[in-house]
Amino acid sequence: MRVTTIQTVLLFFCLLCSCSMIEVHPYDTVISGERDINKKNIVRIEASLEGKSSFTFAVISDTQRWYDETEDAVKAINARNDIDFVIHCGDQADFGLTDEFMLMRDILNRLKVPYVCTIGNHDCLGTGKDAFREIYGQTNFFFTAADMRFVCLNTNALEYDYSEPVPDFNFMQFQLDNMPDNVKRTAFIMHAAPGSDVFNNNVEKVFEYYTTLFPGLQFYIFGHTHALTAEESLSNGVHYYRYQCPNIKKRVYLLFTVSEKGYEYEAVEF
Amino acid sequence: MKLSNSEYILFFVLMLFPLVCCGEGRHCRSMPCDMLVELAHDSITMHLSEKKSKIKRSERYDRRVRRYRNSVPSYSKIQMYGDMGLISFGAGWDYGRRRQWETDIFIGIIPKYNSDNAKATLTLKQNYIPWSIRLNDSFSFEPFSCGLYFNTVLDNNFWTREPSRYPSGYYGFSTRIRTHLFIGERITFEIPHQKRFFARSITAFYEISSCDLYVISAFTNRYLSPKDYLRLSFGLKFQIL
Repeated sequence: MRVTTIQTVLLFFCLLCSCSMIEVHPYDTVISGERDINKKNIVRIEASLEGKSSFTFAVISDTQRWYDETEDAVKAINARNDIDFVIHCGDQADFGLTDEFMLMRDILNRLKVPYVCTIGNHDCLGTGKDAFREIYGQTNFFFTAADMRFVCLNTNALEYDYSEPVPDFNFMQFQLDNMPDNVKRTAFIMHAAPGSDVFNNNVEKVFEYYTTLFPGLQFYIFGHTHALTAEESLSNGVHYYRYQCPNIKKRVYLLFTVSEKGYEYEAVEF
Repeated sequence: MKLSNSEYILFFVLMLFPLVCCGEGRHCRSMPCDMLVELAHDSITMHLSEKKSKIKRSERYDRRVRRYRNSVPSYSKIQMYGDMGLISFGAGWDYGRRRQWETDIFIGIIPKYNSDNAKATLTLKQNYIPWSIRLNDSFSFEPFSCGLYFNTVLDNNFWTREPSRYPSGYYGFSTRIRTHLFIGERITFEIPHQKRFFARSITAFYEISSCDLYVISAFTNRYLSPKDYLRLSFGLKFQIL
């Protein structure tokens, strides 16, 4: 009798300890599971595409509080074998809750290919910035796929209120100063496009000018307004495109097929 | 911990709350109303000519004492987890014919973890405990309790209303104030009279709760399972008065 009581108590205690139902606060930033994902996945992307001249990547964005649709998107992307990596353009969390990031990460981790995530304005709410930094790493980062440099930037200036430089021109200048010779083309990944409500529109033109200084500017890819758009743009004599990925609720992901000569763009329904 | 001065003061005042209750309870061997009678007798003087006005005055005095007595919290509580902090200390008042209603105020702490600073939280909680089953001389079991609580984070990164830099109604919710609903169970141990140190009885309880943002997420997704939106908490209640 006594032994069973002790066993029951112990079992109950173990259950409690392992149970994810124990939480200090929705914004507590207690993170379990994988961390620093961008860094790990960038190593995988760069290694798999080294020496290649063509590759394919998918873009999803604004997955906040749409777990079902995100899960379907992951399944749809996993079902095809031609994709090399996936880019998430931000807004994984709707309220910036720590658990939202972990739930979304666990869905995205089911992708067979590596993925990277930029920070969105909703990801900044409450302690969201801290949770994002812990799970994904720095908010400004870059990687090189074949001969294309992907510069991923935090553009949610409204959320930072001058506490940090957003967009960070020092980071961009450092990129320009240290551009390796094998980079022939550049793509910019961000959550909010120049001109949108959370961008620091005082530097809209400056930002566009700065991006044209990068070798072979191809396109901006962003999310934020939940619409599917594609526009041609001209700045400083450079033609480039702006592609907006819709939110995942629209059940669409973008597919870019990059070859030596150029690239193709497609919006794929799933 | 980054708190503004007013928040610091509030924090410390509320931290002292349970201690105040303990002090009250140690000397109190009877119910508040018994005490009142004694006090009333003390205050009546023998000047017969002024008796009427004195009585009136003593009635007023009694009322004041009664008001004071009712304003003193009758128990203190300690609660862990439940989305209101790692540990929360609180005090509260019970009322109703069977003391089935309880209103508590908690102050809790969220450690730093991966954020920039530790945070204090305040919780206002309303409990309803409809039934109490007496098991034996010292134990009673309350098979169901329910209620709601409002939790606020005392930190500058959180807002009640969106700061003016946002277009009005941009996010449409408050990051600072969370509303929680809970159900739970409790077991009460009545301490024998001679062994009472500061509390008359100790109640252990657990609660399962969910907050507004989790409920919204749960309703719009099949992907989420109960462990993603239900939260567990534990606590102790020390009945003092």
